Amino acid sequence: MQVLDSVGRYSIRQAEYIGGLTIQFWRGLRYSVRSHPFGRRGLRWKRVVGQMAEIGVSSLPVLCLVSGATGLIMALQGGAELRKFGAMEAVINLVGTTMTRELGPLIAAIVVIGRSGSAMSAEVATMAVTEELDALRAMALDPIDFVLVPKYLGMLVMLPCLTVMAVFSGILAGGVFAYFTLDLTLLQYFQRSAEILLMRDIVSGLVKAVVFATVIVHVSCLEGFQVRGGPVGVGRATTNAVVKSIFLVVLADLICTAFFYFFWR
Amino acid sequence: MAPKVPGRLTPGEHDHGPIIQVRDLKAGYGDRVVLDGVNLDILRGETMVILGGSGSGKSTLLRHLEGLQQPLGGSVRICGIDLAQASDEQLFALRRMMGVSFQSAAMFNSMTVGENVALPLLEHTDLAESTIQLMTRMKLQQVGLGGVEELYPTQLSGGMRKRASLARALALDPEILLFDEPSAGLDPVIAAGLDELILDLKGTFRITIIVVTHALASAFRIADRLCMLYEGRMLAVGTVDEIRNHAHPRIHQFVNRVPEDPEPASHRYITGF
Repeated sequence: MQVLDSVGRYSIRQAEYIGGLTIQFWRGLRYSVRSHPFGRRGLRWKRVVGQMAEIGVSSLPVLCLVSGATGLIMALQGGAELRKFGAMEAVINLVGTTMTRELGPLIAAIVVIGRSGSAMSAEVATMAVTEELDALRAMALDPIDFVLVPKYLGMLVMLPCLTVMAVFSGILAGGVFAYFTLDLTLLQYFQRSAEILLMRDIVSGLVKAVVFATVIVHVSCLEGFQVRGGPVGVGRATTNAVVKSIFLVVLADLICTAFFYFFWR
Repeated sequence: MAPKVPGRLTPGEHDHGPIIQVRDLKAGYGDRVVLDGVNLDILRGETMVILGGSGSGKSTLLRHLEGLQQPLGGSVRICGIDLAQASDEQLFALRRMMGVSFQSAAMFNSMTVGENVALPLLEHTDLAESTIQLMTRMKLQQVGLGGVEELYPTQLSGGMRKRASLARALALDPEILLFDEPSAGLDPVIAAGLDELILDLKGTFRITIIVVTHALASAFRIADRLCMLYEGRMLAVGTVDEIRNHAHPRIHQFVNRVPEDPEPASHRYITGF
């Protein structure tokens, strides 16, 4: 009976969380559409540009390193197996398609969760603890409009850009491998990579980046908005934001991959 | 000149009767009830001080007056509008006619003091940027903070932050001004200065002022009427003299600063409890 009770309570909490996330998403979307760059509300765009700089600049160096290392690891591991079949040149296909469709968006998302998602969650949670969110509400300003939307718009622009950089870094690292083992110049390697990539690969990678941007911002901000318990709660909210964002990004990746597999072959 | 605020309630719409009516308010957090059966009328232009010890529910009452929390039962009406039943537009219109000075000042640390004060004007009015800058300087001067526009809130002292928070609360020329523990964490001289500022605002603008505090000297100095909360219930509402001379033992104890246990703590310690 106690087990049933626990399972029931857990299910209700998760349903409430998903409900909260959905409501926040629709409200965020409504405000995002209204935030046009002209007139009084154009002042939001200054905050959006600030967020873009923060997300992009803070994540780019570590993202290029992680993505490059992943591309090289994949080329080395793939090369070791493909050599047995005399198909070393298939490494170019392996690195190009995997980085574009899958690993580029995923690595970019995970690096951004670590750098920017956690910072967003800590910032929003601190605002909640120090009554800044209440001050916004008391000034007839919706925190979703004022706090979440600039972060969301900034992330929507920057995560696809960072994904492109991640894909490029991964493919470039594969090119270094190809230069030393396949006697290809970097130019030849990039030409071969461009030949094997389909529009579907590029679109699916960018669509994933947009979906991941939505997940990261909404989960990070919701954890911040729902913080309880002062400074200790801020730390807890940040940890929860990172763990839940990674889980939901991987889940969203699975759903997107299945969608493209079945509906755009 | 008051700035044009879109969606503001029109004059005459709420001119009669108390500006705030609290009826049988029951409030709490989860299963914990903090306020139970609270009734209170606040008249236009008066300064009402909400007194009570720590944990008596006075900050929770203030949050309900600001419409920041949903009641478990009863109602809070401002200008005749029930906050729990109000649409988003009505709630936003009511909030635009209220200014709130928070206990922690709640200044946005990522913005300068000037940007903090200008924020409500930028968001809710069509005034030109130069006019907003001028009004920002005026509001800061009004609270005795000239020349701090370019500083960040973290560069100000506690008392200055509270004054800056008050300047932001005054930005839209509110009809109702709410203070949560204005003198908390301030030395007696700065706290007295803040009392004078509240009296000055009351005299100049005839604003309805609601102050939550447990600082008795400050409460008796600024109040037209006071109410006393104890363990989530309203014990009494009255003028300064009525509260000072009230017969209720808890009010007498609070007003005369009588400790819960009359035996001195040091004596208990020496005699081994």
